[in-house]
Amino acid sequence: MKKIIYILIGFLVIALNKPVLAKTGLPGLVRSGQYSKGTLHSIIQPDSIQQSLDSIYNVGTYPLYTPDLASGEGREIIQGYCNLCHSVTYITMQPPLPAATWEDAVYKMINTYSALIPEDETKQIIAYLQAHYTPETRRQ
Amino acid sequence: MSEEKVKVVSRRFLIKMIGGGAALLGLSKLPLALAQVSGQAIQQMPGFTGPDANPYWGAVGPFVVYPQKLPLIQITDRPVQLETPRHYFLTPFTPNAAFYVRWHLEGIPNAVNLSEWRLFVEGYVEKSMALTMSDLMKRFKSVSIAAVNQCSGNSRSRFQPRVPGAQWGNGAMGNALFTGVRLTDLLDAAGVKTGSVQVQFEGLEKGRGLKDSVSYRYLKSLSLNDPVINETIVAYEMNGEPLPMLNGFPVRLVVPGKFSTYWTKALTWIRVLDKPDTNFWMTKTYCVPDTPRGNTTPKDVKEGRVKMVPVGTMPIRSFIITPDGSGKIPLEMPIRVQGIAFSGSGRVVNVDFSDDDGATWSKAKLGEDYGRYSFRTWESIWIPKRTGNYVLAVRATDEKGNVQPDEGVWNPKGYLWNKIERQEVMVDVAQ
Repeated sequence: MKKIIYILIGFLVIALNKPVLAKTGLPGLVRSGQYSKGTLHSIIQPDSIQQSLDSIYNVGTYPLYTPDLASGEGREIIQGYCNLCHSVTYITMQPPLPAATWEDAVYKMINTYSALIPEDETKQIIAYLQAHYTPETRRQ
Repeated sequence: MSEEKVKVVSRRFLIKMIGGGAALLGLSKLPLALAQVSGQAIQQMPGFTGPDANPYWGAVGPFVVYPQKLPLIQITDRPVQLETPRHYFLTPFTPNAAFYVRWHLEGIPNAVNLSEWRLFVEGYVEKSMALTMSDLMKRFKSVSIAAVNQCSGNSRSRFQPRVPGAQWGNGAMGNALFTGVRLTDLLDAAGVKTGSVQVQFEGLEKGRGLKDSVSYRYLKSLSLNDPVINETIVAYEMNGEPLPMLNGFPVRLVVPGKFSTYWTKALTWIRVLDKPDTNFWMTKTYCVPDTPRGNTTPKDVKEGRVKMVPVGTMPIRSFIITPDGSGKIPLEMPIRVQGIAFSGSGRVVNVDFSDDDGATWSKAKLGEDYGRYSFRTWESIWIPKRTGNYVLAVRATDEKGNVQPDEGVWNPKGYLWNKIERQEVMVDVAQ
């Protein structure tokens, strides 16, 4: 029973995030013993990969850290076509861009970089980007 | 003091404070670098910045981990683009494990077999060559050069209006001691034919595009009559180590003073051309307006008044690395303000430091000189004499007399940013 009470107090201390047990009156000390929850494994420490004497210099795979696109009509089409040459991080990393700039960007992919996107899908891709990634529409 | 009075000051709150303060002072146009360390671990940076300029020193992406790399700032994940965090620039040489990464096409080498890989020297030459790494190390004289590698689009997120592209903060740059063989030694061994005009470079990087489409391969060329040809090396070593895979193993081109677009990674083909290279990567992108500083306006671009030319030499830049504004400074404490400076067109000969937003300047002390293409560290001992906010600024001058301007630049691709950098810091009482 005592144990449970101690554990509960422990949780309370963490939850309140205040030094309830440590009111010290130390000179000048304003706050101490305050912690907040962090996200474990958000940055992993990678192990070195096994090397072998085969003349191959190998570093393994490159991890993908691709954020979710805003949900909405056209998202699947975007993921299908854009992902062929690059991850959709190329969309989320941009600042909010004017509608016309997104349209230009999509046509650049088609006309300059030879992306094979049918006309209907092109229009849906542009509409999706304009619906979620302009200064007026961007939320995330 | 009661607990309630001491609220946890959030980063967002600080940004608003700084923003509000700046607006009050009429400084709203200043890109005051915000701190990116020592914040609340649970409070993430915003996922993006804009449509205003990025107020942070670096890009706002999360830290991510890649082979042979420390956690770096994510720009993109496929192909990989990673930014070096600010504090790695306290030293003149940027560690390989922290060196920024920028690829164009998704087919990036993961593994290279050196018993099959060759460096081909071909095209308009007397005798084509296929060299192993061992050939490069043993048959040719090895040379070393300290040189800054900077992405043409470094600091693109400062542009107003914002332009699409990798939204780099200031960390798309690094300085390393590169060791390898002179390009001219290779060209001499192959025998460049009379009538040759350029040399083209191609690496192992390949895209998913149709063969010979611009999204299949990345090609860059240098003119044979460009003086930089004599200083260009094919590097197999970076800071005394093999190149990290993400920085161009087995060898990369080092073109001192020029933007990184010419520093082909995983270099495999050196091709002498008898006609100028007109491929997309030379004539349609990595181009800047043919105007002073490459500056123009969206209007002039739209109306077709701008002639574009390939980007080339890096303009002079300097940076404040510490203090970074993540903590307050006690009054009258002597602070070692530290940073780096470099210029693509000549040795950095002077760095000026200001603690009053550039109204008055004093000479900073320069660090060791590792050659005209290297980072030059600088420092200034600064003793703040009053409490309150200060705007620190730094301005470099090179041996050709180029001085950093206090105006931004705008061009459609987001290249050549070199405005004077600033850092806001707060000084508080010490008694």
